[in-house]
Amino acid sequence: MSWLLPSALAIAAGASLVALALHFIARSRPFAESLPTARFIPQRPVRARARSIALSDILLLLIRIVAILAFGAAVAAPVFGAARGRVRRIILVDRSRDVGDDRETRDSARALGRVGDVIIAFDSAATRGGDASVLDSATKNDAAGSLSAAFAAALRAGSRLSSSSDSIELVLISPLAAEEFDAATRSIRDDWPGRIRFVSVRGAPGNERTPTVESATGQNDGVIAGLSLIGIMRPAGNVRIVRGQMTVADSAWARDSSHVVVHWPANDSSAGWQPRPTIDAIGGLASSTGTLIGRFPRAWTLSGAPIARWSDGEPAATEHSAGGGCIRDVGIVFDPASDITLRAPFRGFVARLLEPCGGARRTARADSALVATIVGTTRVTHLATAAALRDRPSETSPWTPWLLALGAAMLLVEMAVRKLDRAAA
Amino acid sequence: MTGPSYGALLDAVRGVHWQARRAVTSPIAGMHRSKLRGTSAEFTEYRLYRQGDDPRRIDWRLLGRSDRAYIRLATDRAIIPTMLVLDASASMAFPLANRAKWVRACEIAIALAAVVHADGDPIGVAVRDARGAERVVAPRTRRGVVSEIARVVDSAQPSGDDPLAPRLAALRAARIAVITDLLGDADEVLRAARVRMAAGNEVHLVHIVAREELDPPRRPMLAADPEQPTLQRLLVDSTRPAYENAFGEWRAEMARRWRAAGAAYIEVVTDEPAPHAVRRIVDAPGIGRSRP
Repeated sequence: MSWLLPSALAIAAGASLVALALHFIARSRPFAESLPTARFIPQRPVRARARSIALSDILLLLIRIVAILAFGAAVAAPVFGAARGRVRRIILVDRSRDVGDDRETRDSARALGRVGDVIIAFDSAATRGGDASVLDSATKNDAAGSLSAAFAAALRAGSRLSSSSDSIELVLISPLAAEEFDAATRSIRDDWPGRIRFVSVRGAPGNERTPTVESATGQNDGVIAGLSLIGIMRPAGNVRIVRGQMTVADSAWARDSSHVVVHWPANDSSAGWQPRPTIDAIGGLASSTGTLIGRFPRAWTLSGAPIARWSDGEPAATEHSAGGGCIRDVGIVFDPASDITLRAPFRGFVARLLEPCGGARRTARADSALVATIVGTTRVTHLATAAALRDRPSETSPWTPWLLALGAAMLLVEMAVRKLDRAAA
Repeated sequence: MTGPSYGALLDAVRGVHWQARRAVTSPIAGMHRSKLRGTSAEFTEYRLYRQGDDPRRIDWRLLGRSDRAYIRLATDRAIIPTMLVLDASASMAFPLANRAKWVRACEIAIALAAVVHADGDPIGVAVRDARGAERVVAPRTRRGVVSEIARVVDSAQPSGDDPLAPRLAALRAARIAVITDLLGDADEVLRAARVRMAAGNEVHLVHIVAREELDPPRRPMLAADPEQPTLQRLLVDSTRPAYENAFGEWRAEMARRWRAAGAAYIEVVTDEPAPHAVRRIVDAPGIGRSRP
């Protein structure tokens, strides 16, 4: 037997002791009882001590203590049948694009897994499976990995396993690529109350490169001028900026491997996109690499995979695949008189638009210091205990209602005994 | 109608009579000795005729034999209107469990009413009802007055600490029986009773005492006066003898003062059956025992 909230038992025991003490203290001052001839009693201090305790008081004390303990036990919620000495595993299997060979991760998981273990396959989201069958769906995909999502799923699974095991081991099979970490990863990992067993697998090659931009538009264009300041403008590059109408040649160029055509019309007439019913103005936009604050007209409704958004969430730039490359539509029109493209925020914002198709993949392994914060054993060396993972608010005990009923019944009995005691007095 | 709970009580006091302590002055014929001497059939003595006497009362045969005019005197019998005053203060609801003092007081009041009514005397009652309003049944002889008194008494609930003396002073009856525990305005009640007795009325005091007041529970208790909640005294083994002495002396003092004032004083303890108490009340010392 175990208790979901053992501290309630301690509180109940304390309350029982207080009740016991109050009984003795209370008896030192007798109860006020009606006696019309009280005036004939000589005046004495009413703090005089009683010399004996009536039997009814002991009965009342016992009833009260039983009621208090019953309520305490009801709140503490006894649970019977929890396994003793049993260790269960939660295996996190990386299936993101950062994995070099997904067969390697699956083989590692199969080698570690046992009956009753929980396997969670994750990329940017996590999928929980009760057995190894989940590995069949853990094939590599194009989504970036997220350790935060994996740890969150592990915490939920650990809470479920806590009622049937004593300790839980968390196993992580992943290349631990840099892009799998985010700002929340460290804090979510710290919520896991034990060590993590890390099984390293080979990572996928990255696609990071230095963009070089070519454009037929002259330096008088604000965007081109801004890019020139970065120093990436070349006569022939791997990114082409089209500030006017797209041509067949531009589309054909985009189909070549790793070519990116950024169709960024300088004005309304240069685009064939669906116009908005009304052109409105909006105060900012953001990409994964930067933010621009200003007042921009919004003329089009774009379709495709968003790579930058207006401040209200509507896509401001989208990406379409085209053969081996891709075409990016950017519906952001700058005031020709504005110098916003010459400033630093523009350079941060535009970096996302110049990344390789599908976005830059930082699949290189994270630096060792970062990895140590997740799987290092300097701080926590033991397995996570079931008690530490127990999600007490969501667990219930079938004994709780009966114990509450017992406590209520004891209170009724106490009332009846008190009434009888008074009547007898 | 009298409640069924009083049936046995009324049966137990059937045949009991309550004679007036002294001759009464009522002009209405009854069973009590009257101060007036008139023309009733019960001859007492002759008296010489005086100017103003009714000539029809002259004994003509004696005039013929003695040549002197005598008139026949006879002892008249008269009624004695009686009022029962019932103390309904909070102290009468003791002990709280069974309110024995109040129950005994009600039983005595109803039994005395039945006795008085059976003697042909007017009987009434004055008591405060459950809402604190004064309920008075004026002295009557008509059939059903005992039931009416029982209803009025049953409607009362002992509470509060209303004084009894003003009620006693306002009554107009030749015989007044006060049923109380004397734990309220005892001195004022005695003063008002003296005024009534000076006016020629009979006053009977029925002092109700609870057995639990005479012998409180043998355990430490903080005794609180129900009419003065702030008065709390500790009753323990060390204070019990002093309590018993003080209470006994007070009761003796009350009996002495009331008897000295000319009232009939009877102490009734709650464990005494009401019919027995009623017989002691009507046979109280100083009360005439003559039968009509």
